[in-house]
Amino acid sequence: MQRNRRRLTHTLAALGLSLLALQGAHADQLDDIKKKGELVVGVLGTDEPNSFIDAKTREIIGYEVDLARTLAAKLGVKLQIKQLAVAARIPELQQGHVDLLAASLTHNKEREAVIDFSLTTFVTGQKVLVKADSGIQNLAQLSGKKVVTIKGGTQEPNIRKAVPNVDVVTFETGPQAFQALQQGKGVAFVNDEVSLLDQHAKLGAGKDKYRVLEQNISVEPLAIGIRKGEKRLKAEVDGALAGLEQSGEADKLFLKWYGPETRLKFPKRTFKIESDKVDN
Amino acid sequence: MPDLSFAPLLRGDYLAWLLAGLRLSLLLSGLTLLTALPLAIGIALMRISPLRALRIAGEAYVEAVRCVPLLVHMLFWYFGVPELLPEGIKATVYAGEIEIVSAWAALTLYTAAYMSEDIRSGVRAVPAAQLGAAMALGFSYLAAMRLVVLPQALRITLPPLLSQTLNLWKNTSIATVIGTAELMYQAQRVESATFRGFETFALVTVAYLSVSLLLTGLAHWAQVRLSPSGARR
Repeated sequence: MQRNRRRLTHTLAALGLSLLALQGAHADQLDDIKKKGELVVGVLGTDEPNSFIDAKTREIIGYEVDLARTLAAKLGVKLQIKQLAVAARIPELQQGHVDLLAASLTHNKEREAVIDFSLTTFVTGQKVLVKADSGIQNLAQLSGKKVVTIKGGTQEPNIRKAVPNVDVVTFETGPQAFQALQQGKGVAFVNDEVSLLDQHAKLGAGKDKYRVLEQNISVEPLAIGIRKGEKRLKAEVDGALAGLEQSGEADKLFLKWYGPETRLKFPKRTFKIESDKVDN
Repeated sequence: MPDLSFAPLLRGDYLAWLLAGLRLSLLLSGLTLLTALPLAIGIALMRISPLRALRIAGEAYVEAVRCVPLLVHMLFWYFGVPELLPEGIKATVYAGEIEIVSAWAALTLYTAAYMSEDIRSGVRAVPAAQLGAAMALGFSYLAAMRLVVLPQALRITLPPLLSQTLNLWKNTSIATVIGTAELMYQAQRVESATFRGFETFALVTVAYLSVSLLLTGLAHWAQVRLSPSGARR
């Protein structure tokens, strides 16, 4: 009996120690990443040009994928891309299924309570696309109407803030919500400006049937998401991003995915990768 | 593991969203039950009908519906079918509760296919001689079915039908993909607003589980109390 009890105590102590060791192994993510030789980055894969599937190679490419590649190179590890749904982004990061998020992730004060953010990597606004023949000219006219958007992002809360009386229906992906608009299941489609312009441009000849309202419903700084409290990893990520800015590489990446030669035709970059502070 | 806290979810808006979702899930289950049950009886009768064409049509329906995932049914009834409506009607329908109506249609057709098979088994459990006897007494085929066979068959079928209702209750969660604001949809909304995914889905699990357990209990009770002695054995 006595011996059994002692053995139990030993087992429990060993268990406790191994749990401690396990925690120790997770205490610093940067070491973990280097040890496994792989950086797992979560992306959307459905949001051109941030991350999307190349029709020819069937691989995920884009602005954020290039950023992720730079980060992996800086850490000296292999890059592994993992595709995530908008609503799954933050839980996947918190549970450690991905090391970083480069998934069109808006940096706002509310989210700072649950995860950390890198320097701002892109600045976009959220806008509203309507059918040209709907007669809707401004945001106020959306009051009491049905609008469509994506689940799990900041689009829904932002449009509700901008138009208090609006009726919102959300879908799993941007293309699905856009299809609902095309079929007339809502009068407007709310999304990040870039995605909206891209989806609009994709219509080709049918483009004239839709119009983007001028007013922004919000300004959205996008950043890389980092698990809360991983200070060393954040320092590495920020360092690599600041390096891109200094070397002029950041500008090249912007032009490659957003510049005048692309479908989006942004004339120039209006932000710099330099700060991790946000206003809202 | 982040700290767990249910308190933020149980305040104001978030709780109201979840309750609204629960209400719509229950409504969707109830509405579907009302439409799926008569449809299921109709299909079951087709499958055991003396007419070969009806039998084939019934079987084709059941196989076609059961062999396609519910998710596909939902998307089909939301993005596909309503597009076939004439322009004028379409605009009116789309301005209304199209998300609920499409989910209702998909759930009805899907649930009816499963329920019809249970009802058919119930009919087969009633001795065939009863139909013959009723018809020998001068009842028409349909009257014999309605007055003699079906009342017994439905009693036997009640426990499996309750179990299909349980499936229906869980299946309402798929409607979130077409923007129907049921419990799962509202849960995702609360999760994106609070980032308290674990707590939100714990609450939702409790909600689904309590209704499910109620249905299971009801099925058990029906099994014991309502089945004719022949089926109880």
